[in-house]
Amino acid sequence: MRFIDPARDDWPAAGTAATPHGGPVLLTWAQWEASRAAWPADALVGVLLPNTVDVGNLHADLPRWSLVALEFPKWTDGRAYSQARLLRSRLRFDGEIRATGEVLVDMLPLLQRSGFDAVQLRVDQSLESAQRALRFFASHYQGDVLESRPLFARHAA
Amino acid sequence: MYTYTDFDRHLVRARAAQFRDQLQRRLSGELGEDEFRPLRLQNGWYVQRHAPMLRVAVPYGELSSRQLRQLAHIARAHDRGFGHFTTRQNLQFNWIPLDQAADVMDLLAEVDMHGIQTSGNCIRNITSDALAGIAADEVVDPRPYCEILRQWSTLHPEFAFLPRKFKIAVTGAREDRAAIAWHDIGLQLLRNEAGEVGFKVWVGGGMGRTPVIGSLVAAFVPWQQILVFIEAIVRVYNRYGRRDNLYKARIKILVKAEGQKFLDAVNSEFRAILEHDRDGAAHLIPTAELERVSRSFATPAGLESLPIDASAGTPGDAPLAYARWLARNVHGHRLPGLRAVTLSLKRAGQAPGDATAAQMDWAATLADRFSQGELRVSHDQNLLLPWVQEHQLLALWQAARDGGFATPNIGLLTDMISCPGGDFCGLANARSIPIAAAIEERFHDLDLQHDIGDIDLHMSGCMNSCGHHHSGHIGILGVDKDGAEWYQITLGGSDGSTLSGPSAAGKVIGPSFAADEVPDVIEAVIDLYLAHRQAGERFIDAVRRLGVASFRAAADAARRSTAVHAEPALA
Repeated sequence: MRFIDPARDDWPAAGTAATPHGGPVLLTWAQWEASRAAWPADALVGVLLPNTVDVGNLHADLPRWSLVALEFPKWTDGRAYSQARLLRSRLRFDGEIRATGEVLVDMLPLLQRSGFDAVQLRVDQSLESAQRALRFFASHYQGDVLESRPLFARHAA
Repeated sequence: MYTYTDFDRHLVRARAAQFRDQLQRRLSGELGEDEFRPLRLQNGWYVQRHAPMLRVAVPYGELSSRQLRQLAHIARAHDRGFGHFTTRQNLQFNWIPLDQAADVMDLLAEVDMHGIQTSGNCIRNITSDALAGIAADEVVDPRPYCEILRQWSTLHPEFAFLPRKFKIAVTGAREDRAAIAWHDIGLQLLRNEAGEVGFKVWVGGGMGRTPVIGSLVAAFVPWQQILVFIEAIVRVYNRYGRRDNLYKARIKILVKAEGQKFLDAVNSEFRAILEHDRDGAAHLIPTAELERVSRSFATPAGLESLPIDASAGTPGDAPLAYARWLARNVHGHRLPGLRAVTLSLKRAGQAPGDATAAQMDWAATLADRFSQGELRVSHDQNLLLPWVQEHQLLALWQAARDGGFATPNIGLLTDMISCPGGDFCGLANARSIPIAAAIEERFHDLDLQHDIGDIDLHMSGCMNSCGHHHSGHIGILGVDKDGAEWYQITLGGSDGSTLSGPSAAGKVIGPSFAADEVPDVIEAVIDLYLAHRQAGERFIDAVRRLGVASFRAAADAARRSTAVHAEPALA
């Protein structure tokens, strides 16, 4: 799991000018929708998706993205876990999936298992506690994005 | 009973360690209450009126004597000496200080217990038939499937923050003793014409403010596919369930609003998992896994073919109380020579479902002496001994009386389902326990109760419906108006059992009653039934035949402070 330091983030938000400028840029979903037709194939782009977007409709877009940032408007709103799971397991997205918004320490094990590989913690969160939160469980019953087989299938193998 | 593996044990201990870390961060101030709340809830910790409440999971109601003794120990050492068995087959403690919470989780882990997902907006502890594995009318033993579902749903990373709580109930018998249509997912195990085992699946049942009966979404899902099918349902719910309004967030609202579209989405998600997902078929249950789990539920040694004991009948000089106990508290069994016996937790002087530490210890002793060390917690908030030999019934009855467990009232008026209500619960609008006590007192006479016969009285202290008031033949709901306690009464509800008829929510009989009117209203309703019943007609059938309106009139006649006096006509 990569912990994003906002001060040294490689993916600056596009701001109001959503235009390619040579470096990586993070667009909002609306910006991408507006500029997707003209966006050059070689310009690095990441997109910030609201948790209401059906990722199943992104087949054409995903190959053009290097990063998907998924939002937790509230940390107890769990829709982005399903988005991440589908992006990884069904759509085979292998770029970065980043958790943004209200991202708290105790979400880390869930995020990691659902396919997130980067998080931007809320500013008041302890990095040390977040890293510790990832160490409590060695494995789980059900399959997930990291280990797609449930315990019973792993036993059988 | 399911036997924990090293893996299961390790996971529960890891969960206890994780919770200890979270609790320490809370107590040190690193974690705010808003951020701690969902974490403690998913470990069973509520903050109640007087102290935190801990809800301990009793998976599908199965409990060993060793576990029950540990619960008694926790009640003594950390609580005020008692616990409360719930209609979802769990156990609640009401007085454990939060700073002892992590120690209690360690004590639970010692006996393979925990509070994982007994609260919060996640997949809750799975409930089942208290007679699972022993019922004479059972088609398929649901317990191995319940356990496989328990494991799959435990710490599922994608479904920990659903729009709202999510409850699954499973039955494998012809008779529904698990009220499955009242659950977010109801599962009925059956065999198809080819003899293959599968599930009939209902979705979108639930109580609360808007009672809804589940809709049938699949007539037959082969057992191997059930985890995938449920994953599809829960994923559709997680993505599209409403999160803008707490009262519209249960899956029942999504199912009602979307209808066929919901069903199509589930079926398409189900296919997509199997056809497109990386290792999408990995959660198809292999026969070897079903067999592995099923081994835990083998019939205890020596019980499969008991010698028939011709002398096992009721002694001719048996007291009436024993005969009544045999009639009400002793149930048929799939194996000859065996019976299932309910230990009634409904008796004068104690709240429905409550047991003291001494009673828990005594129930554990009874389980060891008479039932292979195994107990069940029933949907009706009683304990049940599943492996009692017929020739030991008299000895069990005598021993059960010593613990106050032998009230012969199972299925009768005083065997009511009730939540703890406003005496303990922070959510409640009104108290349940004094109302339950007043009704018990009014109908204490066992002759009267036996004359009234089968009846389900269910009571909740608020709309959250923990006491399942919607499904009671008589339902009582506590409501709050201007800071005072009032009680809305419904008639004609059904949990879906054969006796009660197809699942239905009861109908309200007029404006709420004052607390002191409730026993009178119940009596008026019962009196009307007694006066007008036909030969052998049960209460619920009489309500349907006579109509709610006539009962409403009887109830209105019992009003005092809530009576509406006709205005004098204008001259």
